[in-house]
This record gives sequence, structure tokens and C-alpha cells, in this order.
Amino acid sequence: MPIKPYAYAQLEGVAQEMRKDKNLCFYWEYGAPVATMPTGEIINIAKEFGTPRTSGGGWAIDETWIAGVAIGLAASGMPCICRFPAMAQIYPIEFIYNQAGKLRHMTGGQATMPLVIWVDGGGRTRGSAGQHTEAGYESLYTHLPGLKVVVPSNAYDAKGLMIAAIHDPDPVVYYDYPEVKSGVQPDVPDETYEVPIGKAVVRQQGTDVTLVSWAPATVDVMRALPGLKQAGVSVEYIDPRSLKPLDLDTILTSVKKTGRLLVVDHANWTNGFGSHIIAEVVQALPGIKARRISFPDAPGPGAGNMMAWARPDAPKIIDAAKQIMKI
Amino acid sequence: MSVSNQKPRLDRRAFLKTLGTAGATATFVAASAPGSAQAATAPSLSPDIAAGLTGGKWDKAVALSTAGPGGNLNWKPGDSIKFLPPEKIPRGKAADTLATLPKQKLLTIYERMQLSRKWETTFKDLFVGGKDGLYGSFHPYIGEEGIAAGVMSALNDDDYIASTHRGHGHLIAKGGDLNKMSAEIFFKETGYNKAYGGSMHITDMSKGIMGMNGIVGAGPYLAAGAALGAVVRGSKQVAVVFHGDGAANSPYFFSAVRSATNYKLPVIFVIENNFQMIGVSMATVTPTKYIADYVKGLDIPATPIDGNDVAAVYTMAKAAVDRARAGQGPSVIEAITFRWLDHSGFAGARVGVDGAAGLPYRSDEEVRAWMSRDPIKRYRTFLTERNLVTAGELDKIDADAQKAVDDSITFARNSKLPDPSTTALNVYANGPVAATQFFNRQGLAG
Repeated sequence: MPIKPYAYAQLEGVAQEMRKDKNLCFYWEYGAPVATMPTGEIINIAKEFGTPRTSGGGWAIDETWIAGVAIGLAASGMPCICRFPAMAQIYPIEFIYNQAGKLRHMTGGQATMPLVIWVDGGGRTRGSAGQHTEAGYESLYTHLPGLKVVVPSNAYDAKGLMIAAIHDPDPVVYYDYPEVKSGVQPDVPDETYEVPIGKAVVRQQGTDVTLVSWAPATVDVMRALPGLKQAGVSVEYIDPRSLKPLDLDTILTSVKKTGRLLVVDHANWTNGFGSHIIAEVVQALPGIKARRISFPDAPGPGAGNMMAWARPDAPKIIDAAKQIMKI
Repeated sequence: MSVSNQKPRLDRRAFLKTLGTAGATATFVAASAPGSAQAATAPSLSPDIAAGLTGGKWDKAVALSTAGPGGNLNWKPGDSIKFLPPEKIPRGKAADTLATLPKQKLLTIYERMQLSRKWETTFKDLFVGGKDGLYGSFHPYIGEEGIAAGVMSALNDDDYIASTHRGHGHLIAKGGDLNKMSAEIFFKETGYNKAYGGSMHITDMSKGIMGMNGIVGAGPYLAAGAALGAVVRGSKQVAVVFHGDGAANSPYFFSAVRSATNYKLPVIFVIENNFQMIGVSMATVTPTKYIADYVKGLDIPATPIDGNDVAAVYTMAKAAVDRARAGQGPSVIEAITFRWLDHSGFAGARVGVDGAAGLPYRSDEEVRAWMSRDPIKRYRTFLTERNLVTAGELDKIDADAQKAVDDSITFARNSKLPDPSTTALNVYANGPVAATQFFNRQGLAG
């Protein structure tokens, strides 16, 4: 299996599905979906599929239009991907909340919604500040009825979850964080495949602490793993990949073994999805030791040293794991 | 202080003079070809407008006054009466066009208007009477039936519509099943939405209905999406969104019209301007004479018409549909009408009496005036005066419609309540959601 850049793997999945299903449409705003392999192959969605199946040269900066019209398409039975940047995600959320997530139920099952809501996530990185540094807002969507939420953290999952989301008859929020796109990526098959929505993956086996983390905090967890090993803490690391539905069984199986749960995420503290994971686990397994570290309840700062202070990065993860071993 | 606090009174004569004509039908005269013989007697749809829809002359056809009843003339709640159409459907091209339709189609239009009127009136009496213990919202369309019937008769069965919270009339005009509708109002399992939805969401997706919808301003995107899908498939279907003057003031209306125009989508925006935005008079928030003026900067037909004139509605809708199907893009039709009853529920209404009185955001005088321009009565007169059908045929439709309504109520009363645990189903295509309200998460459906 070849190694592929994250963006290429992802668009390869989209292109393969668009070739198979002539009704599958894909609309975005300004970020033209183009990806290249180091060996020179190019996927150019607009060029290959043209309009009206795609946005072509781009659509207006009008996220409610993008989401609203995609929802109309999907409600009329056409599978559709709509994509917009995270800093503007609250504009379309009205339509995702009131239409995409509710139409099936309020019509008594008449409506279908084969929709992928592709959110280009931000990240806890320096330089942009405020509106462009958010992370963790996938938890907003997990709270809304009728939606599924996936958060890929590597190229393999990015392609497989994209294809699974396209095939799904329900609206799937596909939360895509830039930070996980760089660095070493796993092999990605050329053919189409699904990563099942609602299936977690155990990235590393261990016996002392169950560490649950999803993108983009996976970047910090990967940096922390060698240090944790060095510190003598045996970590079982689980990436849920799908937050809703959540693969609670995999997490519970692990925590039963370790007795300790550490959740690391980049969301703001209050009501981040990590809180929900802890709530589920402590209800199922009373008496376990559970902790969470996250970004504080503050917007992201612009200065590099401020962001580094606020981010639950590798040193803080290592420290948290050591501390949880002592309680 | 010498400045009077008294509100300036609108001088009706001066107002009409501004419009350049006289009589209560001034608005529609202004929209007709100036100086034509028809202007005085046929103040409805200008033939130029209808012809212009496909011929590119539309922009000259609507003679809009810059000094309309917007804020600059201190237009007040109650002044909707200035837009009152004539008592009869006016003679002219629109009426002549409608008269050429096959008799069966003319009867179907009448039947669907009457079904809608009688179904809603019967439910009004049931709600107000209280006997069946009905609950939930109910947004009556009474008084506006000409728009749904007129537009739907210009559509094919497989065309799409997106409706509103006030959508019973749209569903009936597109061939909805009264039994399933009534059962849904009773929240029975035999209802269209299996009791999940109620009045505001009654939907028949199999008839191309993108849903009635409880969010004001949701429809334009849903219709535009369905229209975009039709373009992708090359199916030549069109989509119509119905919504009120309220939704026309939402950003989504502007956004959808702009982008639909940019991509020439086959979508028709039908604004049912009933002058009442829930409990706010449109006069207090609208800066232009017509809502159709909002989109004047776009190169699309945007035309105010008499929404209580089914001939005008049909003719304009047909032109817009033909235009859309030919790939020439969207149109905006502002169908001017009036809602007889309150926004939802039945404040000011009584059993056995039409209309509602004493509502704070409108005058009883304007309600009475608009009720005298009943689209059904006007259409009935049109049909009989032109000898297109007999009064007996229409009387039979009236009686059959009432029987169908009564039968649907019986059907609803005799139907079963839903299994409450089905709440957990139909959130997703497969499987229930967890019943987290129980300590042990039991009690799941299916």
C-alpha cells in the first residue's frame, strides 16, 4: 500500500465515489479541492467533475447558502458533500440543526439526508488568534439530534471515514483538522474502503492508563508517547475517530483493564466532548480514576508563547499521566 | 414644544393620486400597461408582464412608483386595504388564459381550493369548539388558497415545492391525502408524519414536497437545492418555494435568490404577501412599495400580482415555470393576499364564523375588506359568468369536499395513537437512539 498525503487520500476517496455515483455533488466556498502525490498524480475535483456537480471556481462566501442548498439536494435524494471553514461554521449551523438533523424525524421517516458536512477545522496554533484558532467545536454537532460526527486523525481514516460518510443515509459532520495532515502518515489503499462510523481504534496497547484523544490533540499525544514510555507509564491509547455514535465498548473494555482514564482534547473546558466520555465511563464503571485536560475556557491567543501555555501539549500530557498514576 | 405628537394621518386621496389613478385597485392599475384601455377596468396582471416573463420585457412592465406606501409615506398597519383587488377577477389576458384550460383542470383548481378552505375551517371549529382536545400549532391558510391552487396547476406532478408552517393549502393543492392530514393533526399513527410532526410539518415527500417547515426562511434553500439536483440530473424539473412576507425579510431569501440567479437554477420564489408577519404588520418593517422590489438589482422577473386572482397566479406561475424549465433561471412572484385568521391558533375566531376580529396588529375594517375579495368566490364567479362550468357542478364539489373533510376527521378519530417509544426511531435511518430518560435505558421501540 502506498503512502499518500492526507489531502490526497481524502480527495481520492471523494473522486472515486463521484466517479461511481453521478448524482454525488460536492460544493465548497473558496478552497478548491486539489491534491497532488509526490510522484505527480493530481486530483482536481472541479476540473474532473465540473459544474453543476461541483462549485467549479468556487461559491460565494455564504456558508448558509452552501449548507442550505446541500440540505435541499440531500432531502431530494441526492447525496452531497458541502464544505466550509470552521471560523464561519455558526452561519450554516442553523440549517444543520433545524433541517439536516431534524427532517427525517419530524417527517416520520419520510425524508432522507445523505449529506456530508465537511468542516475545515482550525487549530490551537499561534499567529491567527480568536476566530481562526478554534478546536473542539465538533462537540457542538454531537449535541444536535440526528447528526453523526467523525474526526479523522490520519490519512487512512480520512479516506475511509469520508467514504463511509458519503455512503451514510444520515448527515455526517466530517471535522477535518489541518494539524493532523502533516507528518508521517500510514499507508492508504488505492481502492475504496470504509472506516466504519462508530468504531474506535486502539492505537497503542497498555496496562496503566487509558488515554482517549482525537484530532487535533492526537498530534500532541503522538509527541507524548515516547516520553510516557520513558517515564514508565504504560498507556493504552484509543482514538475514537467517531464521536457520535461513540464506540463506548472499546473504551470501557480498556478502562476495565487499566482502571484509569485520561482524556485529552483541544476543546474549551466546559462541555467539551471529553466531558461526555468521562460521564459515560464513570456511569458504567463507578470507582475508576478519571481526569481530563483540555484547552482553557478562553479563545485562542495570537502570541506563540501564550498559545503554548494554553495548549494541552506533550509535556502536559506526560505530567497528567504521571499524576493520574498517583491517585 | 409646538411639534404635535399626533401621528400623521395617511391621506388616502393623496396616496392614490401619487399612484396616478383612482380607486381602491390603484396598486394593480399601476402595474398594468399605462394608458391602456384595460387599465381602468382590468387592473390585474398586465399582459405585458406575463408576456415579458419569457420575452425579456419584464423590467419595463412593472411601473413602480418611487413614492409607494413604504416608510416615506408613513404606511401604517391597516393600509393593506390600499392593495385591495377588485371584486371580480378582472377581464384580461390572464383570465382569458385560464379560461382555455380543460374543464377538468378548472374544476380541479376549484376543488382543491375548496378542500383546503373546508378542511381548515372544519379544524378551526374543532380547535375553537374544543371537543376533540386538539393541541399544537395550526397556521391557517384561509383566504390565501388561490395562490397554492394557481401555482400548483402550473406544475407537473414531479416538480418540487418547499412549503412553510402555513402549508396545509400547498399540500392539498399538490394532491395531499386529507385522511393522513387530519390524522396528523390528531397526532395519530396513521398521519402523514406518523404523529412525529403535527400541523407545521405535514409532508408528503412522495409528491415532491420538501416539507412544510417550522423555520421562517428555510424554504428558499431547500427549493434551490432540489432545483440544483434537477439540473445535475438534467431532469427538467422545477422547484417552487412558497413563503410569506416575513421570510422575504430573512437573509436566506436574499441569499437564495442571489445565488439561484447566479446559477440560473429552475426555482420560483412565490412570496405570499399577506401583510402580517406573525403579529407584526408588514407596513412597519418594509421600506419598499412591493417586496418584489427587494430583488430589483437582479436580472430576473420580480412581479407583484393579485394573489386572490387564481387566473393571475396561474398565468404568472406558468410563465415563470416555462422560463425555469427552459433554463433561464428563477423568478420572484409576489402574490398579494390577506390572512383572515390569526398567525397560529384562533384568537378572535368563533365557531361557525369566518375570519377573526380584534387582533392588535390589524384593523377589522381591512379584514372585512379582504374577506370580500375571497379568492374562491371570485373564481366561482369567473367560472359561472363565463359559462365554463355550471353552478350545479360547483355545488357538488362543495358538498363532496365537505364530505371528504368530515370523513377524514372520522378517520383521524378512529385511528390509534402512536407507540410512544417510536420517538427513539427515525432520528437516524437505522436503529433507535438510547432511551436515556430511564435509569436502565429500557423501553426502546422495535
